[in-house]
Amino acid sequence: MASNTSGDKGLRAIVIGMIVFVLAVTGIFIYLDKKPAQNALTPASISKADGSGLVFNPKAKPQIDIWEDFQCPACRDFEAINNELVKKIITEGRAKVVYHPLTFIGARSTNGINESIIAANASACAMDQGKFIEMHEILYQNQASSENSGRFSTEFMISLGNKIGITSMKFQDCVTGGNYALWTESISSYAAVKNVNSTPTIFVNGKELNRAGGEYSDPAKFEAALAAGGVK
Amino acid sequence: MITNLLANMHKSQSWITFAFRIILGGVLLVAGAIKVTDPYGSATSVRAYQVLPIHIANALGFVLPFIEVGLGIFLIVGIWVRYISIVSSALMIVFIIAISQAWIRGISLDCGCFGKGGLKDTQELPVWSYTIEIIRDIALATIGGYLFRFPQGKLGLDK
Repeated sequence: MASNTSGDKGLRAIVIGMIVFVLAVTGIFIYLDKKPAQNALTPASISKADGSGLVFNPKAKPQIDIWEDFQCPACRDFEAINNELVKKIITEGRAKVVYHPLTFIGARSTNGINESIIAANASACAMDQGKFIEMHEILYQNQASSENSGRFSTEFMISLGNKIGITSMKFQDCVTGGNYALWTESISSYAAVKNVNSTPTIFVNGKELNRAGGEYSDPAKFEAALAAGGVK
Repeated sequence: MITNLLANMHKSQSWITFAFRIILGGVLLVAGAIKVTDPYGSATSVRAYQVLPIHIANALGFVLPFIEVGLGIFLIVGIWVRYISIVSSALMIVFIIAISQAWIRGISLDCGCFGKGGLKDTQELPVWSYTIEIIRDIALATIGGYLFRFPQGKLGLDK
């Protein structure tokens, strides 16, 4: 029994060592993989101070932050209800508007393809072509009825781009190459800093809209919240 | 009758311990493994409970899946069962408290136990899910208690 025990102890030590080693190596790889890359390609109009979100009217005040995931049904509803007003505010330069396209729904996919990254990347590619607003709109109009259904492919992004009048090779390369896929990591990491736990999440001058109070779902309340935040 | 049952339980204790190790360890391993590759999702789940300061919640979200995988593997192979089981039970009790406080405060969230965490779109409380999750965690904590009491089982590396 005594000799047996020492043998088991040795085996146990080896197994413990292996488990700890494998966990540590996995941890390091995941950390390196998910850490926002310093050298990631970024779209043309981003605001570094706002976690590299896509920015319109960078010098205007106040500021509206829009956190969303192109696969999120509640974001589609929000966009259907309030997009016309947001568009108007952007074109009239009444506020600085920062879009933060998140990718957490795609991260839940079990097939290894993150469709939210494909869509966010395509929206950033469209930003470079001056067509973000249009891409944003058509992405929601074409959202699949279930998450991670396989609809948001790079080919589909290019065809959506064509529909809104983007024909450039540069856009196609940007979409197929996933140029801004790494950039989406910086959006995710900034969401962690800003305590964004669901989508859509909207901040007007740093103040989060009141979900229970209907400020997302009721256009009149949304407008009132914007006015309260100083959007004239 | 009852003495018979107890005697039988005593005889099969080492197999019960083995089965419970696989159940508790398996649940921890699967729950951790699902979340391990999605640290931002996991951090979102922890933040949604709105208990911890943001940066602590984020840090916990990043390491918790690894802790779960580690505890799970140790239980399955049967190393340090007594200590690992008590830590696992403690973790389950923390989860029970976290879900209960969200329920009491009227926070509507996906528990994020197996990924998919975060606040829900609706304000309506998921009473049914909360109930099931709490019952499940109580069961798992109880299993951990049994393993603490009877850590010696079949096919384990503890001697």
